[in-house]
Amino acid sequence: MERRTVSERPEDSGEAVLREPALVGAARDGDRGAFGQLYDRYARMVHGLLLARVPYGAVDDLVQDVFLQALGRLRSLRDAASFGAWIAAIARNRAHDYHRRSRGDVELTDDVCAADAAGGRAAGAPAAAQPAPDSEAAMALAAIRSLPQAYRETLILRLVEGMTGPEIAVRTGLTPGSVRVNLHRGMQMLREKLGGGHL
Amino acid sequence: MDRKENSDYLWDGSGEPDPEIQRLESVLGRFAHRGTRPVLPEVVPERPWWSAFGIAWPMRPATVSAALAAVALLVAATVWFAIHRSQQVPAPTVGQSASGWRVTRIAGAPRVGNTAIENQTGRLAPGQTLVTDSQSRANITANDVGQIEVDPDTRLRVVQAGAERKRLALDRGTIHAFIWSPPGEFMVDTPSATAVDMGCAYTLQVDDTGAGLLRTTLGWVGFRLDGHDAFIPAGAVCATRPGVGPGTPCFEDAPPAFRAALNTFDFGPADQRASSLNILLKQSRRRDALTLWHLLARVDTNDRGRVYDHLAKLVPPPPAVTRAGVLRLDPTMLDMWWNQLGLGNVSLWRTFERSWSETNHKG
Repeated sequence: MERRTVSERPEDSGEAVLREPALVGAARDGDRGAFGQLYDRYARMVHGLLLARVPYGAVDDLVQDVFLQALGRLRSLRDAASFGAWIAAIARNRAHDYHRRSRGDVELTDDVCAADAAGGRAAGAPAAAQPAPDSEAAMALAAIRSLPQAYRETLILRLVEGMTGPEIAVRTGLTPGSVRVNLHRGMQMLREKLGGGHL
Repeated sequence: MDRKENSDYLWDGSGEPDPEIQRLESVLGRFAHRGTRPVLPEVVPERPWWSAFGIAWPMRPATVSAALAAVALLVAATVWFAIHRSQQVPAPTVGQSASGWRVTRIAGAPRVGNTAIENQTGRLAPGQTLVTDSQSRANITANDVGQIEVDPDTRLRVVQAGAERKRLALDRGTIHAFIWSPPGEFMVDTPSATAVDMGCAYTLQVDDTGAGLLRTTLGWVGFRLDGHDAFIPAGAVCATRPGVGPGTPCFEDAPPAFRAALNTFDFGPADQRASSLNILLKQSRRRDALTLWHLLARVDTNDRGRVYDHLAKLVPPPPAVTRAGVLRLDPTMLDMWWNQLGLGNVSLWRTFERSWSETNHKG
């Protein structure tokens, strides 16, 4: 059987990671091309971290917000090698801020996730008798979002964004061991939640 | 199914594929990131504060000697003053309110009221004032607002820290602000104008006369006094003067003669405004559409047609914008033309204005 490689991006190599501080330095000096490369490397991670916390429809705008915030705050980043952990913190903070400012919005629940995926159907609206194809994805996403935070983030990065375990570790600053544990425990809990045969 | 057998697939996609994980990847892939790189705003490299006043670096040896002597004298005087003051005044504790800005010392001993902030972190609550002397610098941060570096010789007050509006007052000195709160929520009063954040990073300076200078490095900032507004995008500066309010913004890379003429036009003798305007129109580049757009509402009625014609050559107005409409300062047409300049959408500012007006009426 053909082996599937989840991520074959060149930036996953150790050489590319070693060049990252130089990229950060160039971006600090106003090199927008360098910052664009950082965007290419980290956009999936930022997208995944936000998707773990906010409605799908809001994620793309927030991804842009996070990178624009990061661009303006690069001078405050003391250790260029920790760019990934730093921008991950900005993303988590931005998601927190999103909820704080959306007090009038509906709390993010599985129903809302389903509505996201079903093209914006309001939470509480009557569901179709048979799950539509999209609702399968929505239910899976809702199940992941109901997991503890650490498992939620790691599984979304792996299953939604298509990142490998080693890549998740490099990008987020977590140790490979932690990522491996999160993936396996999270997957175990997800299988239990989905045990009803939705998938 | 033997989960252990397929653990490599979950880890890095190698090994025997797990059908259940493959199925999840397939259905969840629709939520994956597919965005393209955002259009990144210009980031202006940090420049030393003295460049805003036209001081060149490196300085000549004689200038360096004089500066060092002055600094040494200042340090000696400060140390003497600090020693004698500390012997006379017991240091109170830093105020620790539940809300407000978090203050951290960067250098020296910034003070909140009479309390020096040394190694501890303090809170700056509404009504309190942060003061730095010539040797001290501080950082203030509010999680839902942003981060501000406070330079030496600065006096900064917290005026308001409500949920919808955060307001500081810069009485003198220099701050470098990086703001992430929504546009229009954070503002800084100066003696001659209020800077309103529209999603940006900027440096704001106020001298002892109350004159100010705002320099935007990311996004854009609005400067206003009594409905007299200036929009300052990244790379641009705008001066303000007591009794006059915000001048006309221009890009920092504008020719020196252009900037000098603009300064004369905004703050010089009335009888020199006409000659200054001639220089501005003659020397304006495509980029200086920023300045010409602002001049439309600032020139005398008789001169507005000339400004219109020059600006239209640099950036043609949208079809719905007419010469007659602009000459009578039709707000909608002016906004449409501004949006055509590519410097940001003015609707953000109009939203802020409505919110400002409603807040003031409630208040």
